Amino acid sequence: MRGTVRWTRADLRAHRGQSALTVAVVAGVVAALVLATMLLEGALNPWQELFARTRGADMLVYLADGTPVRELRALPGVRAVAAPYDAAPATLVQGAQKSQVELRGMGPSPPAMSAPLLVAGSWLRASSPDGVVVEASFAAATHVGVGDRIVLDGVDGTTVAMRVIGIADTADQGFYPQWTPGLIWAGRTLLSRVEPAPSETTEVVGLRLADPSAAGTGQVSQEVFDAYNGASESSPVERIITRQQVMESMASDDRLLGLLLALFGIIALVAAPCAIANVTSGRVLMQRQDIAMLKALGFTPGQVVRMLIAEQTALGVAGTGLGLATARIATSPEFVRPAAGIPVTLAPLPGSWTALIAAGTVLTVVIATAIPAWRAGRMSPVAAVQPSPPGGHLSPVARLSLLVRLPAALVLGVRDALTRRLPAALTVAGVAIPMAMITIALACWATIGAFTSDPGRIGLAGALTVYPGGLSAAQTTALIARDGEVGAYYPGAQFDTLLPGDNGTFVARAMGTSRSPYPFQPVQGRMFGAQDEAVAGQGFLDLMHVRVGSWIDPTIDGVPVILHIVGRTIEPDDNGDVLDFGMDALPAAGASAPMFYSLVLRPGVSAAAARAWLLRASGGRLDVRVVPNPAARLGVVRVVIVVAVVILAMIAMANLLTATHVGLRDHIHEAGILKAMGLTPRQVTATLVVSTTIVTAIGVVAGVAAGCAVAPRLINAQGRGSGMGWGIAAGLSPPAIAGLVGAALAVAVAAALFLARRATRARDPLLAARVPVPA
Amino acid sequence: MRGVFSREDRPPGSPRRFSRGDPSPRAPHGEDCPSPHIPLAPGGPPAGPAADPRGGSAPGAPALLRARGLVKVYRSGAVPVEAVRGVDIEVGVGEFVAIMGPSGSGKSTLLHVLGGLERATRGEIWLRGQRVDGLSAAAWAVLRRRHVGFVFQFFNLLSTMTVADNVELPALLAGASPRQARRRRAELLAELGMSAKADMAPSRLSGGEQQRVALARALANEPSLLLADEPTGNLDSASARDVLRLLRRAHAAGQTILMVTHDAKVAGLADRVISLFDGMIADDARVVPASRKATPVRDILELRG
Repeated sequence: MRGTVRWTRADLRAHRGQSALTVAVVAGVVAALVLATMLLEGALNPWQELFARTRGADMLVYLADGTPVRELRALPGVRAVAAPYDAAPATLVQGAQKSQVELRGMGPSPPAMSAPLLVAGSWLRASSPDGVVVEASFAAATHVGVGDRIVLDGVDGTTVAMRVIGIADTADQGFYPQWTPGLIWAGRTLLSRVEPAPSETTEVVGLRLADPSAAGTGQVSQEVFDAYNGASESSPVERIITRQQVMESMASDDRLLGLLLALFGIIALVAAPCAIANVTSGRVLMQRQDIAMLKALGFTPGQVVRMLIAEQTALGVAGTGLGLATARIATSPEFVRPAAGIPVTLAPLPGSWTALIAAGTVLTVVIATAIPAWRAGRMSPVAAVQPSPPGGHLSPVARLSLLVRLPAALVLGVRDALTRRLPAALTVAGVAIPMAMITIALACWATIGAFTSDPGRIGLAGALTVYPGGLSAAQTTALIARDGEVGAYYPGAQFDTLLPGDNGTFVARAMGTSRSPYPFQPVQGRMFGAQDEAVAGQGFLDLMHVRVGSWIDPTIDGVPVILHIVGRTIEPDDNGDVLDFGMDALPAAGASAPMFYSLVLRPGVSAAAARAWLLRASGGRLDVRVVPNPAARLGVVRVVIVVAVVILAMIAMANLLTATHVGLRDHIHEAGILKAMGLTPRQVTATLVVSTTIVTAIGVVAGVAAGCAVAPRLINAQGRGSGMGWGIAAGLSPPAIAGLVGAALAVAVAAALFLARRATRARDPLLAARVPVPA
Repeated sequence: MRGVFSREDRPPGSPRRFSRGDPSPRAPHGEDCPSPHIPLAPGGPPAGPAADPRGGSAPGAPALLRARGLVKVYRSGAVPVEAVRGVDIEVGVGEFVAIMGPSGSGKSTLLHVLGGLERATRGEIWLRGQRVDGLSAAAWAVLRRRHVGFVFQFFNLLSTMTVADNVELPALLAGASPRQARRRRAELLAELGMSAKADMAPSRLSGGEQQRVALARALANEPSLLLADEPTGNLDSASARDVLRLLRRAHAAGQTILMVTHDAKVAGLADRVISLFDGMIADDARVVPASRKATPVRDILELRG
């Protein structure tokens, strides 16, 4: 045992660089896994994080004003009751656009329970009596920012001007507009100006329950009603919101996001053991001489196996610890401050998950080490260092190459590299797998990039949607036509339409007319060009069990219509459950007046600038909305892609360095012989570089090729699964592919050159060629 | 200071420590040099030397190592290669035996098989009265820790460990406490004049120094048997003389040594020289130079010269 410890310590000291590499790879993988899981959780279910950070209430009870809360305190299972806040309904008026708001009265210091989490600006303060804090998703939806002046109408028509001094998140309610009304926190004085009549205000009481899950069962709600004499008309209990309702409202059904993130989890899981096994087996190969000597000294095979596994496991544990620490620091609230309007995207990871990731990684290290360690245990104490000489002979191709005077270094190097098939295959796989995954990750990046650079591909050619609001259709079109920044505009109408059998709805949307249709880009079939033609998203085709070419007869806006589906478009919204056709497809009796206009801007014009111009020109009477791009929502994926690419590059580098090291160790032996045969030192170095680079080059090219072949299919399959439809993938551009391959090859050659020069310079190759072992 | 090569505690400054020219070829034996550290197997010595047709060790001397009908065949290639072809050998306690032979005669293979580094294809090996040819790799390893030390032509020091660690490792492996191992290492290195280089990496030492460290490592656990494979084969003549002197000193202190060499001068230091040819023993002769029969005074003079 003491001998084992002594040797392990000496070995770790002597191979600091390699040990650090192992620790770094493991740490990177663990950090990536933790981060990906947190992002996934955060993206799919942001509630948990918000709830924890805002110390949210398990239950919110809305009571009529003046109702005592004694009854609530006395309820069994209620652990704490937050002081009641006054709340009043109001309307946010922005030109023609009116949004329902709950104005909640708060003091200058945030409450202990459900404290809003500021993401911008500051909390209410006495020095700005007209200051309010707006809930983040509501602020984003209504384009309100810190410093803006807003106008709220009370129920009785009182108009009060206010100034936004802060934006905050809360776990008290879901995101606007899925959850209405929007929420604005204001000082109590301001609240009483909007709603002077106390009888019109409501008390909001937060409850903390002993068993938080009880809130969802309805039992506690029943007890609350019972406490105030039953759920009759006169009951003071107006409304109850449970944490489960908020959680469900916030949970996004974004399967695309989930799948993309899951993909990276799998990448980490596949690539990590590859890298760890490669690093470990590389080390064992390089330690053969010492291990043989240890056995001659009296180490038993079992001891050698245990020692190597213990050594690598220790590195794995260190790496895991480092990875967890890194992930913790990287995701700490001090580092991650969500931008205003974007829901918090990181969810805290339950301890069991962290433990699972840590244990899984360490187990992976043990398994990855087991085979090389077992081989080391079986190694003969005599057979040490000398690798079996390459068998075979110069192939006809090699002879021919020498005959046509190709550089000898190239021919010999290529021959050297490919003679030992198994190590060569392992190296190729070790480099190819991470390279393929990097390619896939970059293709995901390119796809998201294409969403932004060419929104027309995904049906988002129109950057703005204009609702006439207070203006007539003619006035609206006149205004739009006057705007020099608008390239084209299309009248539109949209109806939520029942599916046959009433088991769901889809969006029926008229966009442009059949003669001048909105510029959809169908990925299958063609654009609609006649009155009875339509295009549909994949989700719709799946819902209706129809294909492109089918005829359908939906009832749109109460009128049955017969339509021929002539194409399929990429639909980023509504799970792809969208049917598009021309305005003229709707019967004259139906809604022939456009509900909105979709504006395609001239190239280079920003949507915000165009919106501002239209708002100004209409005197605030038009309701102009910027069309959200799903790429913005997929921003989190970009973060994950960057993390994944860095990790994968590290893994590829680790594999590449190991392969180069081992390759050199094998070939340095022949280098002396080559030198003796008459090759110049430069030729010897070139031979070594070629022989080690050729294998990694094959790996790089094979990996990138495989990635390019698989990536579009994977991404399209995910698009298909999410309802957006097959065809969303944007492939990597040839320059990008060339750059990727070039960069990887440059690194491979540089590493080989560096190590080969060091090896050939460090000692006389002839001396190195000797066999310093009992032979 | 205790003589580290001694196999017993002798009073400091005892003249025996450096008595290299003992008239008897098996000087360490006999009543004035018992070897309490080499307990024989409970069953007593194996079949005596009388059983050996070649009559290797002197009559009456206990046999430490005995091999009979040893065959080693390599089957790595298409054609099996018989490296050792029926070797019978016997080494007595305290003997210094050299195995000589041309390249490819199977000397090193024989040494590896006798030390358990390679498994014999056929034949019996007895070490300290115990049959060991059937032992597993692990059992051999455990046996080597206490009873077999190896010195190789290319030193084979553990490259990742310092000189001190290299020497301490066998002791630690055999279960010594770190303090004991450190003490033993300090003694050995002091004896070999290597104390100053204890914390160096082996790669920074000269060949002769490396071999001295390797010798210290081999002797760290006072093994019953020291197997040396061309210990001077890779050294310049001065270093070679140095290492041979140390080997003789160890032998004088009672260490049993089996050494492979192709150098007749080196072999001449041994008590016995076994000649190997094509994997078979061609000759087994005792080295008793006439001059050694002379008086102790002449002996000393000869050594000094």
